[in-house]
Amino acid sequence: MSADALSAAEAGLVSCTTCHLLSRPAETANPGYCPRCGAGLVWRRRHSIQYTWALIIAATIFYIPANALPVLTTTALGSTESDTIIGGVIFLYTSGSWPLALIVLVASVMIPLGKLIALAYLLIQVQRRQVRNRHDSARMYRVVEFIGRWSMLDVFVDAFVVALVQLQPLMSVEPGPGVVFFMGVVVLTMLAAQTFDPRLLWDTPLERQALDG
Amino acid sequence: MAEPPRSGEIPQATAVRPKRGRISVIWIIPILAALVAIGIAVQRILSVGPTIIIVFTAAEGIEAGKTFIRYKDVNIGQVTAVRLTNEYKQVEVTARIEKHAAGLMVQDAKFWVVRPQISLTGVSGLSTLLSGNYIGFEPGASEQSANIFIGLDVAPVVAGQAGREFILNSGDVGSLSIGSPIYYRRLPVGQVTATDLQPDGKAVQIRVFVRAPYDKYVVTGTRFWNASGIDVSVGADGINVRTESVVAILVGGISFDVPPFMTPGEAAPEDTVFTLYDDRVAAMKAPDPLAKHYVLKFNESVRGLAVGAPVTFLGLPAGEVTKVGLAFDVVKGDIRPRVEAVFYPERVIELASAKEAALAEAFRQDEQKRRAFIRRMVEERGLRAQLKSGSLITGQLYVGIDYHPNAPKVKLDFSQESPEFPTVPSDLADLEAKVGGIVDKIDRMPLEAIGNDLKKNLESLDQTLTSATKLITNADEQVLPGLKASIEDLRRTLGAVERAMNNADASLLQSSAPAQQDLRNALQEFTRAARSLRILMDELERQPSSVIRGKTDTGGK
Repeated sequence: MSADALSAAEAGLVSCTTCHLLSRPAETANPGYCPRCGAGLVWRRRHSIQYTWALIIAATIFYIPANALPVLTTTALGSTESDTIIGGVIFLYTSGSWPLALIVLVASVMIPLGKLIALAYLLIQVQRRQVRNRHDSARMYRVVEFIGRWSMLDVFVDAFVVALVQLQPLMSVEPGPGVVFFMGVVVLTMLAAQTFDPRLLWDTPLERQALDG
Repeated sequence: MAEPPRSGEIPQATAVRPKRGRISVIWIIPILAALVAIGIAVQRILSVGPTIIIVFTAAEGIEAGKTFIRYKDVNIGQVTAVRLTNEYKQVEVTARIEKHAAGLMVQDAKFWVVRPQISLTGVSGLSTLLSGNYIGFEPGASEQSANIFIGLDVAPVVAGQAGREFILNSGDVGSLSIGSPIYYRRLPVGQVTATDLQPDGKAVQIRVFVRAPYDKYVVTGTRFWNASGIDVSVGADGINVRTESVVAILVGGISFDVPPFMTPGEAAPEDTVFTLYDDRVAAMKAPDPLAKHYVLKFNESVRGLAVGAPVTFLGLPAGEVTKVGLAFDVVKGDIRPRVEAVFYPERVIELASAKEAALAEAFRQDEQKRRAFIRRMVEERGLRAQLKSGSLITGQLYVGIDYHPNAPKVKLDFSQESPEFPTVPSDLADLEAKVGGIVDKIDRMPLEAIGNDLKKNLESLDQTLTSATKLITNADEQVLPGLKASIEDLRRTLGAVERAMNNADASLLQSSAPAQQDLRNALQEFTRAARSLRILMDELERQPSSVIRGKTDTGGK
């Protein structure tokens, strides 16, 4: 694969976003439908950059309460304790299980933040029409999209713990408001990764101008 | 959309400005997110109450983020930080107070660490065993808000209860301690809240708290006394045991009441100072405004006479001994016991009957009249003081004032401050002489001779017994054979009776026996009679009228 390879759009062709079949557009203005799977064909997703930005900003806003508010409220023998994600990491670390602390830190704090930064980085590159290292950028995008489906780990753990640990009146666990925001971060980031059109990474500045709707 | 450009071609400028920067609907999402986040932030900021600092000497069980400040079992704040302060001598606890409780943070509010306490007076703070220690809170009365407080080392005994505090002055604390109960008519109504020395260090101040509504019984005339432990007093009037409750025995206690001679005044205001009496008797004792001191000189041992021993007038309590000492008579070369006693004329006057009330009042008022009366009693009737034995076991003595008409005449001299009251020798010497006489008589008894006689008697009794034994042996040999024969006869008779009975059996029970036959006939007869009766009953059921009208033909049968 070479960076100098002709892109489909350059060749006057359009690829299907669903089944990736390369076909000739019905018209230039309106590429029509994929002859194989019947999905609508677009040269580039409409408003891809704008949509992705909006979702990333929304996710970033939610990222703050997700970390500031407690995700779990534990009531054990009459004493109530609320833990934020970072609080949980610190608790795990101080209680000696640093591998667990590391997992939670990576999965719940670093990955969501990393995804947001990665997507923002890609968007800025595309917007400035200077994609420096297209291969690395493309790989970055693939990783972001792949990780997305595993990001709800925290929410799942929360849900499990809340459902299982209900030993009233000795001990009970309730979800905190932070978990809702955390879920919002994950869902919005996944949607942002979906709306981003990776084909933009390969477009030359001239094409971008031409393809921009 | 324009024609797809070819590489290297110079793009064609467009005549119309390309439509750019259209704002998509998607921007609603971040705007909504921002609104939600801001909303939550505003709510959090608004709900945050003031942050206060409490300085404790020790922060036992206080943890940041886990310890709550509780008032009436409601969490009103949470500890956010604990750190050392003041050159590492004290602990500074920072706590965030909930907004709704912000108004309670006034200057004289009290904070203390609640921990489980098990003492004789009760168990408190048990809930902390499960939930961990917490900081207790009691609001103050001040209007001035504050945010730095000094925590109490000990929980106030009476947190959040209505009632009043009073101050008691006492020589020492005795067995009282913080938490010792206060009793009113043996009902626990309060507690000791503090014990402290007075500034000069010569007495103690005890702060007591009496709960509402019982605090209204503490009035201006109330007297408090120490009800600690078991009060056992052995005096000339016997053994007296008094206690308030088992708790009071163990941890001490204070009782209060209004003495009967006082008219209860108005409810005493907060922090009224009272005297703490040593015991109930001291507290309930009426102040005797009329106290007349007399000196008694005895000619005998006063062993057993203690200060406080009663002085009785014709057997009724009228005063007490205040001092037991010696009187030195240099001229005669004589030392005699000298007893000082106080006499309360009012106690005697009070006992006058209703008719003599006017007279009693006159005696109470007029000292000259009283003196004249006493002088007459002493000089004409022979009123004398005498040592008397209160208890033979303990040897306690008291002073009894009684009439001794045969006593030598004396003059009563009221000119001295403490007049000398004439005495007579006690009866104790007589008693001793009598007992001595009895002992002498016992001594003179011919105990030895009696013993010898007794011995002889016993010997003859022995002989008698021996003869008796012989007699019985003879009886055995001579009487028994006859008895044996008699028994043999009896047995034969019984055999005959048995045979007779057997015959009777046969005549009655065999089917052919005549008696049996008769019985069978009788039973058959009875069966027939029963059958007829049944028929009659059936008939009556069908035709009840047949009793009156006789049997009708249609009636069947």
